[in-house]
Amino acid sequence: MSGNNSKLLKIRALDVSYGSVQVLFGIDLDVTPGEIVSIIGPNGAGKSTVIKAVIGIAPAQRGSIHFKGREITRQPAHEIPALGIGYVPQGRIVFAEMTVTENLEMGAFLLKDGKRVRDAVDRVFSEFPRLHERRKQNAGRLSGGEQQMLAIGRALMLDPELVILDEPSLGLSPKYVDIIFEKLMGLKEQGRTLLMVEQNAARALSVSDHAYALELGKNRFSDTGQALLNNTDVRKMYLGGA
Amino acid sequence: MMELLDPIVLTQFAVGGILAGALYALLACGLNLVFGVMKVINLAHAELMLLGSFLTWLLFTTFEIHPLVALPFIMVVLFFFGYGLQRVLIERIVGTTELSSLMVTYGLAIIMMNLGLLIFSSDFKAVPALQGAWFLWDEIIISIPRGVAGIVALLVTLSVYLFLEKARIGKAIRAVAEHADVALICGIDVVKIRMITFGLSAAMAGAAGVMLSMIYSFSPETGPDFILKCFAIIIIGGMGNFAGAFFGGLLLGVVEAFTAGFISTQWAEGVAYMLLVIILLVRPTGLRGKAHA
Repeated sequence: MSGNNSKLLKIRALDVSYGSVQVLFGIDLDVTPGEIVSIIGPNGAGKSTVIKAVIGIAPAQRGSIHFKGREITRQPAHEIPALGIGYVPQGRIVFAEMTVTENLEMGAFLLKDGKRVRDAVDRVFSEFPRLHERRKQNAGRLSGGEQQMLAIGRALMLDPELVILDEPSLGLSPKYVDIIFEKLMGLKEQGRTLLMVEQNAARALSVSDHAYALELGKNRFSDTGQALLNNTDVRKMYLGGA
Repeated sequence: MMELLDPIVLTQFAVGGILAGALYALLACGLNLVFGVMKVINLAHAELMLLGSFLTWLLFTTFEIHPLVALPFIMVVLFFFGYGLQRVLIERIVGTTELSSLMVTYGLAIIMMNLGLLIFSSDFKAVPALQGAWFLWDEIIISIPRGVAGIVALLVTLSVYLFLEKARIGKAIRAVAEHADVALICGIDVVKIRMITFGLSAAMAGAAGVMLSMIYSFSPETGPDFILKCFAIIIIGGMGNFAGAFFGGLLLGVVEAFTAGFISTQWAEGVAYMLLVIILLVRPTGLRGKAHA
């Protein structure tokens, strides 16, 4: 078997522009099944845009995106979850005026069978007991960390192979940053594959099997998380010196 | 003046006001549903209502079909009319400025009104399908058409509310209203949900039109009075808030009834806007509205 076919996600020469402003220039990225892969880089490097192109909410002008060997470039966003990709948006966006349970139900909107939806809700509740305790409350009343758990739980409702997270630790208290990273490791142990964008580069690299460092919309470095963590250029450019 | 403070008279006003307010509530909830989901203020909402009224009148005068029998049929017709309207017209202005949505829907209202004048002339029509009165405790008089119209309006509004709260598609409508982009990545076809939402809103307007035809005389030019009042109601209740529009509608009905009883019917026509000013002075986001960040 060639190495390419063993990739869960494969991005080649991806260009993305918003209007006349080009944000990504020929990005290449691979995600191997079972790994945690991180994209790091300063603000404006185009990190989030890469994953937004994957889930179909940023327009890919050129290049290709393959998931499980199937081309998904320019696939409409609402068709992405059915393929086995879950997405946790930046800023832990939940449906604030809907209950915790209803938020999870939305994650399984594609399932028309109520029994399967309830089973999936129960599965997420067993993984996040805190959400179960607060199941009848409106999501707007949860703490920031609980909302992030809910956003992750919602992305897990369809039992996706690949979970994509946009800045999972942004704006959380240190205690919840620990809890969330622990959860991400737990997801990996369950056999799921994770692709995340993270401003907390040191933390992200320490849990990543593989990582990509972007600069101004281009690939700059890519290696194992540990290797990037030890790379002096990476330390200088992305980890604030030291 | 003293006889106006008689509890029976007061109850009479309140009951009449709630029944009239139920029709406002049904209409305003439909208008607010579209605003909540796509931030489009549909100035043609009252014309959709009148489409329901004229269909009722046609079915009644041509085939002698009773308005209450025609109701489900007319709601289905209006649903698909709204669904198609969203697909060909309104979808194009979703996400643009509020000014363009006002211009497009105002244009639509004018086209519908003039088509109505062309087909039906400006003569007033009425559908006298129900007559008579109920007497509650021998003293409170409720005209049967108004009683039936009010109760049906309440039932339709309640059904839509339950649909939004409990049904899979209803929940998806609420999700799209909150965060269309997150709903999209949950696998919800947001464009289709908006078509269903506009269809639902049009079906509610159609139901209001059926009820209107039984209690008022109407012409193709009846729309503007209603749309302005509905607009006042959704601001009073809170923009985009379903329950707010419901209680705002009932409140307006009751306040109008008391104003008509204590002062005059002319004053009742203007009281919606006075109520609007007072509520906005006390609570600028409306009764159930949230402060915008």
